[in-house]
Amino acid sequence: MRIRILGNLVILGATVVLSYGMQVSKPHYADLTAPIPADGAMHDTIRARSFDVRLDKVVFARALKTNQFGRQKLLTTSGLWAVVTTSLTATAASTTVADGTWQGPTGLRYHQTERLGYRQDMPPHGVDPGLEKRGLLVFEIPPDQIRGASLLIAARQFGPLDAQARISLDGLPTSADGQPADVLPEYDLDAPPPQGKS
Amino acid sequence: MFRTARSKVQTWITAGAGTIAALFVAGLMGAFGALPAHAPPQLPLDTAIDAGRWRVQPVRAYVSHAKVYGVLMKPGQKALVLEADMTNRTAQSDKAYFDVFKPDGLALPDPMPMIALTRDETLTPELHPGMTERMAYVWPLAGDAIVPASLSFGVTAEIFKPRDNLYGMPGWFNPYRLGTITLPVADVPATGS
Repeated sequence: MRIRILGNLVILGATVVLSYGMQVSKPHYADLTAPIPADGAMHDTIRARSFDVRLDKVVFARALKTNQFGRQKLLTTSGLWAVVTTSLTATAASTTVADGTWQGPTGLRYHQTERLGYRQDMPPHGVDPGLEKRGLLVFEIPPDQIRGASLLIAARQFGPLDAQARISLDGLPTSADGQPADVLPEYDLDAPPPQGKS
Repeated sequence: MFRTARSKVQTWITAGAGTIAALFVAGLMGAFGALPAHAPPQLPLDTAIDAGRWRVQPVRAYVSHAKVYGVLMKPGQKALVLEADMTNRTAQSDKAYFDVFKPDGLALPDPMPMIALTRDETLTPELHPGMTERMAYVWPLAGDAIVPASLSFGVTAEIFKPRDNLYGMPGWFNPYRLGTITLPVADVPATGS
């Protein structure tokens, strides 16, 4: 009789411990439905589900020169502008690549800027299979978010369980205090491509 | 006879214990709820205020009679403008700053302000983590509205939940009035432009 009660207590205790453990270790819904990363480095071609992307160049600038509604505008920022040039190709069918995020070393996420308004060469980028296309992404970031950062590129902003290219930006030249080695005073978005280095 | 009555009472008490406890708790909550609520405090103007996902530092308030930061007004309207330095305290770019400030005691034709980045007049851009930007809240007013020389604005904050109750996602919920700021309101007459 006593052994049976003891046995029941042990079973009850084990159930409580097991249930608590399962509750504590339950994965977040956000993690279960998170985008699926495709990792890579600068200058590598990374194959996401619907597009391939290669990060060609990152240029830092203090100001951006752009044409808005026929008016020259000089956009300044409290941090730095990062102009990222990528090459995009669709894998199987024509599609769009719309989302870019600069993820700092501590996980802060800087979404691509909305201050440029509508421009032909800004996301969403229409891409086609077999045709390589230059795709620009522009970010506003503080200078301390450059070392150890990575770039996240996805077809759309909220794409659960879709692929997300995750490009490590360790190859960027920075000085000892983490500042970028080369910062242009001004980047002209309407000038023909080769500007700056890196 | 006597024994059955006692067991009956016992049964009643056992069955009714939950109901009694519920009534008691409800009465208690009602009593606490009826207590006069604390008035939201007056917030200091010289230090930055942590209001949920934003750190705000109000700079100045004025009434403008002309186009301000690219916000056009209908003829006969003027605008109440509040400029504030805003910093995103969260880990990702965000633009949920529409309800942070609200002027008290003014009849607003549209309670939703137009919000512009003072740097280059961009309307409602996303603000990025840790990057302070000066934003101008612009509320259009009827041309004959009377704005007091010293106006108070309610500051609304939200609380962070690491897991919400529906999906278990992190997010900001339950807006509440954090406090009040009171600013002098200058009147800026229209210039030629």
